[in-house]
Amino acid sequence: MDVPRIVLGVIGADCHSVGNKILDAYFTEAGFHVVNLGVMASQDEFLDAAVESNAGAILVSSLYGHGLIDCEGLRQKAIERGLDKILLYVGGNLVVGKTPFAEIEKKFKDMGFDRVFSPHDDLTEAVKLLRQDLEDRKR
Amino acid sequence: MVMAPKLLLSVDIGSTYTKGGLFALEGEELRLVGREVVPTTVDHLGRGFTQVREAVLSRHANGGHNTNSPFSGTKVTCPALSIPVYWSSSARGGLKIAAVGLTPDLTLSVARMAATSAGGKVVRAYSYELAPEDLEDLRAVEPDIILFTGGTDGGNSRVVLHNAARLAELVSPAIILYAGNRKVRDQVVDILRGREVATAANVMPEVGTIDIEPARDIIRHVFLDSIVDGKGLSSVVAEAGREPLPTPLAVFELVRTIAERVPGWGDFAVIDMGGATTDFYSHTKSFHGGDAIILRGLLEPTLKRTVEGDLGLRVSAEALFRSEASFLEGRLREAGTDLALLKGYVEEVSRRTEYLPGDDRGRRFDRLLAAACVRAAALRHAGIFQRVFTPQGGFLVQRGKDLRQVSRLVGSGGYLAGETSPDILLEACAPGADDPDTRHLVPEAPACYADVEYLIPLLGNLAADFPGAAARAAVAGLKPLGPHTN
Repeated sequence: MDVPRIVLGVIGADCHSVGNKILDAYFTEAGFHVVNLGVMASQDEFLDAAVESNAGAILVSSLYGHGLIDCEGLRQKAIERGLDKILLYVGGNLVVGKTPFAEIEKKFKDMGFDRVFSPHDDLTEAVKLLRQDLEDRKR
Repeated sequence: MVMAPKLLLSVDIGSTYTKGGLFALEGEELRLVGREVVPTTVDHLGRGFTQVREAVLSRHANGGHNTNSPFSGTKVTCPALSIPVYWSSSARGGLKIAAVGLTPDLTLSVARMAATSAGGKVVRAYSYELAPEDLEDLRAVEPDIILFTGGTDGGNSRVVLHNAARLAELVSPAIILYAGNRKVRDQVVDILRGREVATAANVMPEVGTIDIEPARDIIRHVFLDSIVDGKGLSSVVAEAGREPLPTPLAVFELVRTIAERVPGWGDFAVIDMGGATTDFYSHTKSFHGGDAIILRGLLEPTLKRTVEGDLGLRVSAEALFRSEASFLEGRLREAGTDLALLKGYVEEVSRRTEYLPGDDRGRRFDRLLAAACVRAAALRHAGIFQRVFTPQGGFLVQRGKDLRQVSRLVGSGGYLAGETSPDILLEACAPGADDPDTRHLVPEAPACYADVEYLIPLLGNLAADFPGAAARAAVAGLKPLGPHTN
């Protein structure tokens, strides 16, 4: 069976690299083939990497509070590039201030993201969800 | 009794001139003992080869002095036929390669890199699915090789298989070199059954990982098979007893050898400017890191060649005039000359490609065109820094290759070989940015040299068998230009 491929990176002008390395190690350990773009990755870089590697999911991190503007349009662009089935996950400190998480989650889901994670979510849970979602997409 | 040194002949069949050099191998060193140049015999390349070979050898046998490195009286004690002959051919300005990739910034970009560093010329580049009109276009440009890439290993196969099916319909004698997703390699070969197909390892096995050496190697072999067949080169193979190298590949390998073998030459570049193209070779680490510098895009190789088909002094003069119009116009304005005069000159020389200016005006115009070629070739070869402001402070984003540590710059090819001042080469160091937050990573203050005896391709032919000697002889044969040079 093929190892599931995922694209990972920190979007926009965000240089937070520590969490990115932890996610890379964690998902690799969990059996995923991780294409890690590192920090300051643009939407196009996420999409190019996903197209070339035939990834099943794109995992976007954003820690600096500008997540909304950086992530806007990613779903539409993915569709334009022929990635119509790709899973989009996003997580981190997605917006500045004390917005309730449910509101943040709704905003990102409206933008076409399949799952939205807060800094308090457990990675074991994220891995479980990703496996399940990738399975579901195959059907 | 002094032993006669071993003699080696090296010949380069260029698109305009066929050059030959006779070298003496004395211990660990190579010394030029004679050289000749004849016009390339386009209808039968073998004739020019034989002319050069005979001219060099007979002059040498007569103790001739047709060289700047005076021949010191070595006797020819062996029959001329026993002198090993190494040779290269530019093959009509290079092997024509059409590159097919998946995304423009990833596999297609790496495919271009593989093609140019193998000595080829990229005549077309296609990303995503090939369309029927792309096939028409491909047929029309008559490529020698279609470098077919796409997908990481185990990655995208849908577009790759689609393109394989399209290429199977193509009516063209071009050899298809598949260097894409390894997982579907057998399927691709199967789809293309009946066509001439070669395969190599994936040029981009993983996103951001470049592996162009295997594809380069296959391209080199294809070059040998395809150019040797035409234009009388098979007679040269018979005469020389050895297959040729593509000229740009000979230069590429010599640049590598010099960087590895000559102390102080680890970071240098060669600009080879001709009538049709300007080639830029650099050997320097691509990215140096640093706290506030972030590399985006591909990490480029330490040894890199780019070839610019629209930058040249004759055949490409009109293309140059178009692509570098604003630079040329600016310089002319400073000099108080009208652009229309240059336009007239460009039209004339692109028709009469053998033209050499006999007056001041022509020389001034050639100088200006040369400056434009060097500057544009450097800007395209080099990467950039862009200043970005983030909530964590200011950062520099690097894209492409950092040439700032290039400490030596060598000019080769007809015009630059004859330069006596570093001015034209130093055009490569012009900042060239309109935007204050963008910086071009061109060499900063390199020492400049001229390849006065056109030794670079000739010694490139010898670099595989005599690496240390060829590298040292090439550097020793360069003429330092100007006050910066030591």
